[in-house]
Amino acid sequence: MARWTSILVFPLLLALVAGCGSQPQAGDASQPADVVPKLAFISNGVADFWTIAEQGATKAGKDLGVDVTVVMPNGMTDQTRKVEDLLTRGIDGIAISPIDSENQIDILNKAASETILITHDSDAPNSNRVMYIGMDNYLAGLMCGELVRKGLPDGGKVMILIGRADQDNAKGRRQGCIDGILGRDPDSSRNDPLGEVLTSEDGKYIVLGTLTDQFDRAKGKANAEDTLTRHPDIAAMVGLFTYNPPLAMEAIDRAGKLGKIKVIAFDEADAVLQGIKDGTVVGTVVQDPYEYGYQSIRVLNELVKENTAVVPPSKFIDIPARVIDQSNVDAFWEDLKEKTGRK
Amino acid sequence: MTSTQSTTDSLPRRIATRLRTGGKIYGILGLLVMICAYTAIASDRFLLVGNVENLVHRTALFGILSIGAALVIITGGIDLSIGSVVCLVGVLLPYLLVEHQWSVPVAVTTVLALSLGVGLVHGLLVTKLRLQPFVVTLCGLLFYRGLARGITNDQSQGFGLEFKGLRSIATGRLPIFGEAEGAFHLPATTLVLIIFAIVAAVFLNKTIYGRYLLALGNNPEAAKYSGINTDRMVLLAYAVCSTLAGFGGMLFVLDINAAQPSDFGNFYELYAIAAAVLGGCSLRGGEGSILGVVIGAAVMVVLSNTINLVHPKYQNIEFAIIGAVILAGAIVDELVRRWLAVRRAARQSEKP
Repeated sequence: MARWTSILVFPLLLALVAGCGSQPQAGDASQPADVVPKLAFISNGVADFWTIAEQGATKAGKDLGVDVTVVMPNGMTDQTRKVEDLLTRGIDGIAISPIDSENQIDILNKAASETILITHDSDAPNSNRVMYIGMDNYLAGLMCGELVRKGLPDGGKVMILIGRADQDNAKGRRQGCIDGILGRDPDSSRNDPLGEVLTSEDGKYIVLGTLTDQFDRAKGKANAEDTLTRHPDIAAMVGLFTYNPPLAMEAIDRAGKLGKIKVIAFDEADAVLQGIKDGTVVGTVVQDPYEYGYQSIRVLNELVKENTAVVPPSKFIDIPARVIDQSNVDAFWEDLKEKTGRK
Repeated sequence: MTSTQSTTDSLPRRIATRLRTGGKIYGILGLLVMICAYTAIASDRFLLVGNVENLVHRTALFGILSIGAALVIITGGIDLSIGSVVCLVGVLLPYLLVEHQWSVPVAVTTVLALSLGVGLVHGLLVTKLRLQPFVVTLCGLLFYRGLARGITNDQSQGFGLEFKGLRSIATGRLPIFGEAEGAFHLPATTLVLIIFAIVAAVFLNKTIYGRYLLALGNNPEAAKYSGINTDRMVLLAYAVCSTLAGFGGMLFVLDINAAQPSDFGNFYELYAIAAAVLGGCSLRGGEGSILGVVIGAAVMVVLSNTINLVHPKYQNIEFAIIGAVILAGAIVDELVRRWLAVRRAARQSEKP
């Protein structure tokens, strides 16, 4: 029996050590940590796009001498948990790209009440966040749709590929793209069903639908391949998340139709930029994730110092989207390599 | 052997079994305490009341799923559909309440009845059609996820600012230690877990049906020939498991306020199974303790919290850390038990 008693006592001893160890720390550990502001940059998932943003956030942290934690959560439950734990850990400011701003109001407001909260990439206008850094996804989507029209002057069938259609930035971007392709009057409140075939008024442009892959690259590629199988007469594919266009290009290449079936991209994957140079990609609409990261940390740091002048009256710092095509791809790529330290 | 001997025999054997399953509890409890001790030493925020509330709350949510998984595992089966049932209930509840304006009692009854139905179908397919549990519930995993995405057209379903009253089942904090600002408030979900855990533990250890369940997991043929209606017990285990998954899914969505059909509850069946196994359930069936399973769920919840509080820069290897710690725990547990068995055998052989 003694053995069992010892097994029982061991954890209790450890618990005692834990209790003793933590008590004296509670008072003095927080003081040195307070000297350097602790800021967090939270993405809405894991992607190359966020790796570039991470570089920006980390660079800002180095430039400004602040401690930056970059968090890339796995879905909405995980994002909520990560915010809770950051608040527990003690954080001076959080910049977040909320996955579902309307339904995350509670946790966002909790964060806003306990620390400085700003949003980036995707806004939460109804929360108590201080401000938003990002771009209008609907307008960026429209730019993408216009690129499709430019690439297909004679019209044709188009399939849209996207990681997820259920997060706010994706909704706006996808709807903007559809409206751009169909040449509708801009109205960001529309929400076309994913599977619906839509035709422009003049009948030239047909949007076959939207396929999602939940950030599963294998599924994303299968989506592109199956589209080619089912619609051999397709004229173009649009990839709206960073990794979608390269997957579409691979599928098209395997079918031996690279260059014949146009690719219109979003974001700046290497394969896309090379494709623009080679003429297989019409163009891409780029956000500036590096600036999202950098500006988020810069603004948070100013807010920690109680410099509220950094917040514009609109509570929105616009980091506009740009169209990259053959005319400006070289300069853009050079700049990108510089920013990500790959040069 | 006479009948009197066999009854006197059974007492020491019962004690031995107690110690065996009990030993597993001490093992997992030791692991939990060590992780807590490490985190408490490394972070002065870990033992803050708010954080402890968060931890028991999260443990409750995963614990409820894990108890269901444990009951199925005890019968020697497996349920891989838990995460998808969480998702289906998680999106259906706001979908019915918000999109279709159903009343709360009707919507809640519907989703729980649906989960129960799902479990009964699994149980019937396993017992009557003799399909393998792995296959049945794997298909369930795919089916309910697809169903959830289809019904909602991939749009996330949430309560927005409504249904605060209903949501308090999952978000409520009970002031059992007083109303003071810094006092510990028991999360309502933890109360739910405690109730479920007590009912499950009493059922498993104190009722004849619990004995049947364990006997069935140990040796299905022997259980059958000794007159136990094994099919009914298996059916019961799957029904309870899916109902608990549905109940857990309801609490998850009430807590998070919205569910995305594409990833809500992803991998939760594996968390539940891991918690059950950590807590002393053997995947071969016939063994298990409810308290151990709840502690197993706590281990995973605390590990994730540890990474967030102490090593926030290493968040992307969270799964690797959780996997490594669980594996290390399982290895140590196995080695300790072998060592004890060798010692016991040696001592017995010394006796004349």
